[in-house]
Amino acid sequence: MPEKNNNQPYHEAENELISSNRVNIENLKEFETDIKIPEIPEEIIKTLKSRKNHMCVKKDGTNSIPSCNEVSVPGMVTQRSCVYGGARVVLMPITDAIHLVHGPLGCASCTWDIRGTRSSGSELYRNGFSTDLQEKDIVFGGEKKLLETIIELNQIFEPAAIFVYATCVVGLIGDDLKSVCGEVGKITGSRVIPVQSEGFKSVNKSLGHQLACDALLEYLIGTEPPQNKGNVNRNEVEDHQDIDHSLNILGEFNVAGDFWAIKPLLENIGVSIQAVVTGDSTVEEIAQANLAKLNLVQCQKSSRYLADAMEELYNIPQIRVNFFGAEETSASLRAIAKFFKDPQMIETVEKIIKSETERLEESIAIYRQHLSGKTVAVYVGGNKAWSLIQAFEELGMKVLLTGTQNGLPEDYQRIKETVRDGTLVVDDANALELTRLLDKYKPDLLVSGAKEKYLSLKMGVAFCDFNHDRISAFAGFKGFLNFAREVDRAVSSPVWNLSPKIKAPTKPDILTARSIEKNPKKKVSEIVPGS
Amino acid sequence: MYQALNNSNNDSFPDESGCDKKSEHPYQKKFAVVNPCRMCQPMGAVQALLGIEGAMPLVHGSQGCSTYMRFQLCRHFREPINVSSTSLSEGTVVYGGEENLIKALETIKIQYNPTLIGVTSSCLTETIGDDVERIIKKFRESYLKNHGEKFPPVVSISTPSYSGSHVEGYDKTLVALLENLTLPPESEHEPDMINLIPGNLSPADVEEIKEIIKLMEINGIIFTDNSESLNAPLTGSVDFLPSKGITLDEIRQAANSKITLTLSQHASSGGKLLNKRFGVPHAILPLPIGLENTDKFIETLSSLNYVENIPPTLERDRGRLLDGMVDSQAYTHGQRLAIYGDPDLVTGLVSFVVEMGMEPSIVATGTKSNQFHEDIKKITAKTSHDPVVINGGDLYDLHQQVKKTGADLLMGNSYGGRIAVAEDIPLVRVGFPIFDRVGAQRICILGYKGGLSLLDQLTNTIIQYYYDEAGYEL
Repeated sequence: MPEKNNNQPYHEAENELISSNRVNIENLKEFETDIKIPEIPEEIIKTLKSRKNHMCVKKDGTNSIPSCNEVSVPGMVTQRSCVYGGARVVLMPITDAIHLVHGPLGCASCTWDIRGTRSSGSELYRNGFSTDLQEKDIVFGGEKKLLETIIELNQIFEPAAIFVYATCVVGLIGDDLKSVCGEVGKITGSRVIPVQSEGFKSVNKSLGHQLACDALLEYLIGTEPPQNKGNVNRNEVEDHQDIDHSLNILGEFNVAGDFWAIKPLLENIGVSIQAVVTGDSTVEEIAQANLAKLNLVQCQKSSRYLADAMEELYNIPQIRVNFFGAEETSASLRAIAKFFKDPQMIETVEKIIKSETERLEESIAIYRQHLSGKTVAVYVGGNKAWSLIQAFEELGMKVLLTGTQNGLPEDYQRIKETVRDGTLVVDDANALELTRLLDKYKPDLLVSGAKEKYLSLKMGVAFCDFNHDRISAFAGFKGFLNFAREVDRAVSSPVWNLSPKIKAPTKPDILTARSIEKNPKKKVSEIVPGS
Repeated sequence: MYQALNNSNNDSFPDESGCDKKSEHPYQKKFAVVNPCRMCQPMGAVQALLGIEGAMPLVHGSQGCSTYMRFQLCRHFREPINVSSTSLSEGTVVYGGEENLIKALETIKIQYNPTLIGVTSSCLTETIGDDVERIIKKFRESYLKNHGEKFPPVVSISTPSYSGSHVEGYDKTLVALLENLTLPPESEHEPDMINLIPGNLSPADVEEIKEIIKLMEINGIIFTDNSESLNAPLTGSVDFLPSKGITLDEIRQAANSKITLTLSQHASSGGKLLNKRFGVPHAILPLPIGLENTDKFIETLSSLNYVENIPPTLERDRGRLLDGMVDSQAYTHGQRLAIYGDPDLVTGLVSFVVEMGMEPSIVATGTKSNQFHEDIKKITAKTSHDPVVINGGDLYDLHQQVKKTGADLLMGNSYGGRIAVAEDIPLVRVGFPIFDRVGAQRICILGYKGGLSLLDQLTNTIIQYYYDEAGYEL
């Protein structure tokens, strides 16, 4: 790329970057095994100057991470979401609660029932609730409508709690969510929990995660059940025998049933699960989360904040776990046993790891054989940017690049610690950059979410959804087998060998055959086999 | 009237509209929307813009607006969808969105070089009071001065999410395009084109409309044409802007057309504008779903083209549809349907199923519309059916009504899947969004051919669900 004069105005300096809108990716399969990753980050792909330091190759001895947690360049097709989106993903798996979006209908109508998390009990959380603010509410304020809506919903559905999410416009018109929720809480005797998640509050939805955790800390964890006990299903946690071995799992959302893949493992080693925050959990389970003796932190991205706060408030220690991949799962189980210092548990853990690993090895061999040496690009929203790396290594695959839409410096530090030298780490890649990265690195697989899926497939790059849309549980030993199978299905499909273009025949064989045919009675099938 | 089913306080329609005296809602739900059956205005605007060749939609608002819309659109069309955002955040909200909007326009030009940028506002920018028109005008002037060349056309569409729905958003976008781009007619120009506004349809439906007018030997400008951009073949490359669609030139020339035909009662403002401003005649037809509606469409086309004989291909397709209807009627007759979706779609479907002797027991739309209620009454007046009309309701209302009134079959988008499971009735998927089946972009229900494919699907669903493997009724 030619040298640029930094003093030039923004648009002029970038003018040369205009290239064709089409990114050609012919010769998909001519993949070079020896990837030469340029040392100067500027040269990774064509992009805006302001975006260049958001990409960074891990090298030995250096500790640089990409620039992050910055405003996306306006006008880009950003893969990012809003603060409300961030709060929503954390809280919406709470199954017996109503998740009421206070704002115009659009905020609810594009986001209801998309979390992909499963429930063993109530299905209430899957409904889309909105106050459907109208023009006159914007002018005169939406508090009255909010109050009436909450009372109405409480009457119809008798939920264990109502979470009320603020959207952009609510922040502008100045509705006092806290006071309305407090008031309705008194009227109804139910839990009504405000979540101050105005969409524009930050460019990074991580703030939404944090605000969601704040709502849990302030209004739910460690609280007594409401007066209106009629609709509350609470099993009081008292001095049950397991209390010494009880734990919470933070940042596990039971997407596609992930928690159900982990649950039997934990039960077998002799711990009791107080609450999962928030996958397949009820309001009252979470309300008593303060009674657990340990917090496991699965999604460190969304729940590290909550774990720290609980450690401070309730003296609950925390350990990081990762149940993606057999090795990570084993390490996590060992860490739990080590924490409880229970010799029997330590023994059981080793036994389980041994038998599960043996069983897994047997079944996974075939996939490993298919996948060994294949390359992967990971571009996700959360902790998967690092927690998946080891899982791919176990399959013999090589991670070429990894990145997130909204990583914070500590997230990228974590990624740096996990990936091998030479791996590209990307922050907030937009659709165009992602296309160019796929074009350059030509990975065999992209792991990402729904918005990137068809971009990848259109380019002929196999795709695996590790987000809300996936269909099987990937956690634990059995989940790892599912994961290997899904990756194999994606990568080894014969469709990738089909050419996107018809090749014009150089020799018209059929015509030649006919012209030299002496016997006109000869059947077509003898000339063209199979016809 | 029953208030509960008209709880959406859409100010553009009087409150006493669309009510049905005989239905009582099980709960007097007055305030909450539970399981929405409509989207917000910017979504409709974006869908219209995706049918313009080389156009880039820009949502002036928080990042979540464009991201969640893209999510919905991607999973429905199974295509990469590009919608850019001005990425407003706390600071920009305090000082107004001007700086971000200008920066966004510059970035889009550099990165995508589109033929047109369509700026849709959001509840956020409407509330902070950004004067988008003024900002754009000022920006384009200074761009011309600084660069010596014109910035691509930018059309601003006012789409606050707190009023109307995606249906209005689509309509407003067509108006904005015509208002800003269409040139006065050339006097000596002999009109040989027609403007065709089909409404917000699936790519396959738009393609079917194009097929029909081609068979009728009519040149049409399709407002807007997503038939290629949202149903793209795999070529090994990615288009960041719609590779095909209505062109800017076609929009500019729209006043030279012989007539504007609108196939949607709710996307008719564009045709009205062309009529008022440039005197282009305007006719609104029902969406050509089913035999009679398609006949009406083709009769109108033939009158425009003075074609006396209908092309044999269309005669044949019509005969095939009628043949199919006769073959299926024993299965379909008397089946009770609950149909929900956008008003024009539901009206068209009701017209078709009534032709088949099916009974629409509930018809529902999330977008409140007087016209919808009138249209349904008009269709069912000729029959003995008296469906419950849910006008401006949600899927919770629909579900309660299905429990009460009963239905053998549901027709609508994927969100009805849970009602179907709960009530143990099948769901035939039409409309938007459809994310739990493949091929939403290929669903064709328009014209004789589309009608036949819908009919087969309906009938086979009934057979699958209500008959045993030997063909006996269960």
